[in-house]
This record gives sequence, structure tokens and C-alpha cells, in this order.
Amino acid sequence: MNLVRRVGLTLFAPTLALIVALAISAIVILAIGESPLVALRELFNFGDSSASQIQAVTVILNRAIPLFLAGLAVSIGFRMGLFNIGVEGQYRLATIMAAWVGSAIVLPAPLHLLLIVVVAMAVGAIWAGIAGVLKVTRGVSEVISTIMLNFIAIGLASYLLTGPFRGTPEGSLTIATEDLPESGRLASLNGLLGQLGLAQPRTDLSGFLIPAIVVGVVVAVVVKRTRFGFDLRASGLNPAAATTSGVNAKGMVVKAMLISGGLAGLIGLPDLLGDTYHYGTEFTSGLGFLGIAVALLGRNNPLGIAFGALLFGFLDRAALSLQFAGIPSQVVTIIQGTIVLAVVIANEVARRIAIRQAERSGANLPTAGPPAGEQPATVAT
Amino acid sequence: MNDVPPAVELRGITKRFPGVVANSDINLVVRRSEVHAIVGENGAGKSTLMKTLYGMHRPDEGTIAVNGKHVHFKSPADAIAAGIGMVHQHFMLADNFTVLENIVLGSEPRTGLALDFVGARRKLAEISTSYGLDLEPDALVEDLGVGDRQRVEIAKVLYRGATTLILDEPTAVLVPQEVDELFGNLAELKSEGLTVIFISHKLDEVRRVADSITVIRRGTTVGTADPNSVTARQLAEMMVGSELPTLETRDSTVTDEVVLGVEDLTVLLPTGRPVVDSVSFQVRRGEVVGIAGVEGNGQSELVETIMGLHELAAGTLRFGAEDMTGWSTRQRRESGVGFIPEDRQRQGMLLDAPLWENRILGNQTRPPAVKGIFIDRSAARKDCARIMQEYDVRAPGCDTLAVALSGGNQQKLIVGREMSGNPKLLIAAHPTRGVDVGAQAAIWELLKDARSAGLAIILVSADLDELIGLSDTLYVMLRGRLVAQLDPADVTPEQLGIHMTGAAA
Repeated sequence: MNLVRRVGLTLFAPTLALIVALAISAIVILAIGESPLVALRELFNFGDSSASQIQAVTVILNRAIPLFLAGLAVSIGFRMGLFNIGVEGQYRLATIMAAWVGSAIVLPAPLHLLLIVVVAMAVGAIWAGIAGVLKVTRGVSEVISTIMLNFIAIGLASYLLTGPFRGTPEGSLTIATEDLPESGRLASLNGLLGQLGLAQPRTDLSGFLIPAIVVGVVVAVVVKRTRFGFDLRASGLNPAAATTSGVNAKGMVVKAMLISGGLAGLIGLPDLLGDTYHYGTEFTSGLGFLGIAVALLGRNNPLGIAFGALLFGFLDRAALSLQFAGIPSQVVTIIQGTIVLAVVIANEVARRIAIRQAERSGANLPTAGPPAGEQPATVAT
Repeated sequence: MNDVPPAVELRGITKRFPGVVANSDINLVVRRSEVHAIVGENGAGKSTLMKTLYGMHRPDEGTIAVNGKHVHFKSPADAIAAGIGMVHQHFMLADNFTVLENIVLGSEPRTGLALDFVGARRKLAEISTSYGLDLEPDALVEDLGVGDRQRVEIAKVLYRGATTLILDEPTAVLVPQEVDELFGNLAELKSEGLTVIFISHKLDEVRRVADSITVIRRGTTVGTADPNSVTARQLAEMMVGSELPTLETRDSTVTDEVVLGVEDLTVLLPTGRPVVDSVSFQVRRGEVVGIAGVEGNGQSELVETIMGLHELAAGTLRFGAEDMTGWSTRQRRESGVGFIPEDRQRQGMLLDAPLWENRILGNQTRPPAVKGIFIDRSAARKDCARIMQEYDVRAPGCDTLAVALSGGNQQKLIVGREMSGNPKLLIAAHPTRGVDVGAQAAIWELLKDARSAGLAIILVSADLDELIGLSDTLYVMLRGRLVAQLDPADVTPEQLGIHMTGAAA
């Protein structure tokens, strides 16, 4: 199969899925008595001034960064056939632990940041690792254990927040951990935007954009170019063949869960380090579950996950402007849901087409089929 | 007979299917009340054809007629309704059920809500006596031998009202004595007016049992033959074309240097029953040790344990001078143990990955596929191209997905890959199963050359000629134990068969 056709096939599926999803969403919007065209206009309405356009892009990026990290975390599990549904609990617990450690300790700026990141990743990894260890030692399905660990993590985070880790005074309206000191905060990229001669957005562009990109590149390299990544993918493609080839299946499960959980630990950091500086009752939730959708959209490929995260960020941004236009913001959720469904179906169709093409290219080889010019013979009938 | 429409008539059947030889333009006429043999080499497309007839997949082209009526089977249920039943090569029975329970399973007779076992028992008794199947309805299937299990499968199909039975390689799992019993049963079926389609690649059996023969080669029907007048040689030539591969024995290259020492190896099933029972043997440099046995007597577990895939309950494994009992599979591979697994698609390939990635599989820690912790893509590709050329793997290129290759080409890639790390010991489990005859000859040559070059080889096979032809030392495995050591130079397949059933003891 030549490159052009392969790329074409790769892009064909998501594009088709997007069109189908938009068509279904349009029908839904029509059904509730609103105009799909208005909705479409609002999706792309970034405002007239360059300042408001920069602002819109900033909002999209800020939303996309944690989604991207969540998608990466889920994709590591998916790559070897593990369903880490527990990303949600992993990042919530990781964030509150990181917020507490970060506020309790003062270190020089880079070390302080590093410590917070390490704590977050370690907590996420340990929490996911529990599911991994349970799977290899007791045969517990990671789907069940991660879901149950979500409940425990969220309950535990609530307890810690209202009890030992509470930083706001008794009787105050907000319940949150103590704010991180200056040395534990990450500068926004607004300065960089200024240097590029762009208008300043009203919201800060999260400084975590750059680490997120680095993490994405590292994950891509590890999965595609290293021995470890090969073992990981082989375990996902064919566990029996991977074991026969010398991969330690149990070790792989634990390692994949640790990495997945470690990445999950990063999800809350853009907000913690660059926006809220504390973990509280209003801290963004649901990113872990959205990460599953983003990983599916991106077919577990870091670049694809980036596109998926940006698409979700783009749709989420429109929620507010849709409401201004009188269209319920839930329309965005409907669009997101239909896109994921459509993409999953389209990917499967594309995969089958690719396999059929591969078979056909194999079937045209000289080995298959009888040699030409051979006549069926009949012996002594 | 000419006024009676044929029991089954296939015209122009074409089927494209992943990984195996496609069927193209198959024509087949099976008359009523005959045993019709379909012969062809492993991988010629016999099973694909029978799956088409049994409704397990739909043909891309062509028509099927049963008793003169055109049919379109969407599923095996349609085929069963039309009176076609299939006895699979691998039995599909629940071990912890009785014969009767297994037979009614899936088509349970009911009176109201309760199961009508009385009626079922009566019907089974009728079937058992009228076709001479001699079944004990209350025996547990796990206590039955292979031949009995096969008769349960046949009864199961008859119970569902089949008038045409497809038997897919029924003798593959049987020893010669059991084959005789099976042929007796087939004669009974025929005399009661049933039609039997008998799939095999064993020419002598086919000539004994069949009323007519259709030959398949490379996915298409190449002709029909009369078993009374055709010779085995003529049939073989129809099956394989002109070139018949031969297995002549060569001078011994066995040395004194022991490569693998297996001592008192015992492997337990989860139930605690030993599946490999205190097995001891040695493999020396330049020696092929063949392990014969009816499938399921522990051969798979034995070789997989040598590869480190099962925990051993007792015993030691020595590799050269070292004790490798506690080594991981990867350590074993790194130390020079190559493995051709019996189920290449399940254990040996990443079907959805390109060939160059399949080249890396099993060599993840060794050059040229890797450089430090990184995969060396260009070197892996280059070496994949070398294997394709040296081992005659026919594929468009190293970026082709493995699923696109025929079974024989997949197998040649695996052989090439396992040989490329300069192994000291090669474990070959059914190395020529399901590959076309050209690839079979090529693989035999490769194994012989490797032996001459000093490789120690363990060969597990169900092909007795292959075992006798290639082995320097031959062991027979029965119920987890090595029950006999034979000299391949003067043993016949029949004698081997006697040892395989335990009748010699």
C-alpha cells in the first residue's frame, strides 16, 4: 500500500465520522426547534477583535491541555489492551496530594515545581498500580478494580479536603487546600504571546502547554521507537505471541498501569500550578472520563490525541456562546458523544478496509491460486 | 442414480479469506449415499470449502445446491436445517457433561419447561444402534478416549437430523486401530442412506473408504478420481502437481555434546493432574529429537515448558552446562533457544503488524533489531528483507501486514526469524502444519541443513512420515510420559501408531 493511500485512509475515517456526527447533531438541534446554522456559526464565532480571538484560542488550549494528558494516560493502557477507567480517581487523588505537599513545603522555584510534579505522578502511579497488582496476583479485572478505586479515590479526596488538608478557615464558603506559594506556581505563556506581538488574552494561557507537548513527544517516542514500546504494543496486538516472544506479561501489566497512572497524575497540574493554586470543591472534574473519549478519537496515537483534545476544547468553548444564542449548551455534549461513536465505528470500518486491501495485495502474489493454463484433469472416472 | 439429484452440488465457489489459501472456482458433486473424499495437501483450501458448505462464511462467488435446490446459508443453523452436519477436526464437547447431555446441548428437547431427557435418551439409543455407534449415554465425556469422543460428535450431528455429514480430517487425531473403527461406522452410515463428505490428505485411507474422490490443489478443484482404479501415486501427483517432496534420511550428524538436558520434568494442570509426568531426555548438537504422540498427550506443554511458558512442578532443565530451570522466556531466547510454535497465528505472529515488526518479535533484546533501548527500524527492515529473500517468503515487502500472507509464507518468515539469532537449540512444533507442499519441502530442507550445521532440534509433529524422516531419535509421548524410544531407521508409521495408543505396553 503506498503512503498516499495509507494517509488518505487514516484521514478519511475521522473526517467522515465528523461529518456524520455533525449531521446527527444538526438533526437533534432541529428537533429541539433551533437552527443548526446558528449553532454552527456560534461554534466558529471567535469574536471580531484580535484580542477576543486570542482569548478564544487560549480557552481552547487551556481546556485541551488536561484533556490531552488524560487521553495519553488512557492510551497507554489501551495500547496493551488494558482499560484504565480509573484515570479520574488517579488524577483527583494525585492533585490533592500534590496540592497539599506543595503548600506545606517551600523550596527554590524549579525544585518546588519538580517536587509537586513528582508527587502527583507518584500518587497517580501508585493508585493505578494497585489495579495492576490486583490483576496479576489475583486476576481481578482492571475494569472493575479501577472503577471501584475511583469511588475510593474521590471519597478519600473529599475526606482529605474537608479534614486534614483543609486550608481555608472553618465556616468559609470555599473549601480548598492552602494556596501554593509563589515558588510552586508555573508562569503563564502570556509573556510569550506578547513577545510574539499578539494581544494579551483575558485568561492566562497555561504554562503547562510546553511540558504537555514534551510529554506527548516522549510518549510517542517510547511507544513507537523503543523496545519497551514494542513489548507494550505486541502485548496489545497478541498477548500469547508477546509472551512466547519473551515478554513478561505480568510485569508488562504492572508497568503499563504505573505509566498510565503516572501520566494521569499530571492531568490536574495545569490548573493547580497555573490557575487555582489549590485543590478545592470546584476543581475541574470528569477529565479522566473525557480522556477515554479523547484516546478513542485519537486512536491511541499522541498526535491524534492532540487533535481529539483540541476538538473537544473547541466544542467546549462554544458552550457559553451557544447559550447566548438561545441554544442549550448540552448540544455540545451531544456533538461530542456522536463524534466519539462515529469515530469508533469509522475506525473499525477503515481497519477492515485496510486489512482487505492488505489481503488483496497478498492474494495477488505468485504463490496463491493455481498457475495459469492448468486444466482440471479427470482420472479414471 | 442419474435421476436422483446430488446430495450436494457446488458450482464455481470462490472465497477470499485472511491468512489461508483462497478457494477459487471450486466445483464439487456429491451423490447421495456415498462417501465422498475431498483430498488435498494441508492448506490447499479443504477446510475453507467445508466451512462455506456448513454456512460458517458465505462464498464471494458461486452457488450451492442441496438435493437439487439452491440454498444460501447465512449461518451453520441454516446448514443444519438443510440436513448438513459437521464433525470438526477439534472436538467441541463439554468434558464435565455426560454423552447424553453433550448431544442435546444446544438443541435441548423440552416438555413444557422441563428437559425431556427420556425422549432424548430414546432417540440417542435409536441412533446409536442403527448406525452401530455403541455409545453409553451416561458416561462422562472426560473419561472417554479420542475415538469415543469422535462418535459422540457424529451422534450429535445425527441427532440434529443431518443426512449429509462433513468429517473434517477425522483421522488426524486417531491412531490406525481407531481409524478402522471409524471406517466401520462410516460404512454403517452409508448403508442407512446417509451421505458422508470425508476430508483428508491421507491417500491410503481415502482409497480404502471413499466411493469417489475430488482433489483440491491450491484452492481449486483439479479433478475427480475413482478410488478403485487410481493409484496412490496418481492421486499424489494430482494433489501436489508434479514435484513430490521426499524425505530421505542422511548420514547422522549427532555429536556427543549435550545442548539440552531434561531431567524428571513434571508439569501440573490447574487441577493438579500431571500433564507432563517425569519426562527425561537429552538433545545433542546436530541431533533431531522427534516427539510423537496423539495430540493432547502433553507434547505442547512439554515444549512450552522448555520455552519457559509454564511453571514446572518438578525437574530440571539444563542448557549446555548451565541450569536454565529458573530462566525467563527472554533469557532462554537470548541464550540461543529458538521456537517455532504450533499455532503460528496465535503464538508466533502479530497479524495486524507489518513483517518487519514481526521480524523483531522474539528478538526484542538482540541486534540487529535493536540499538540500546531503541528499536532499530532500518536494520530490522533490512534484516526482514534478508529473511524474505533467503527463506523465500513471498510478500510485496516488509511493510506488508502479516495477515496478508498465506500460512506457508508466514511459517517461512517465522522459521527464518527463529534461525536468524544463531540458535543452539530449535524447538519446532508442527513446523509444516497447514503449509503448502512447496513450503513444506523448503522447511524440511532448512531443518536438515540446520541440523548438519550443528543445531539441536526438538521436533513435535502429528505427521508420522515427517517425524520418521527427520528424526535421529524418536520418543513416543502418551498421557504425559515418554513411553517408548524408537529408532526412526526401522520403525513404520503403523508401529509408531501402536505405541501412541499405548497398545504396545
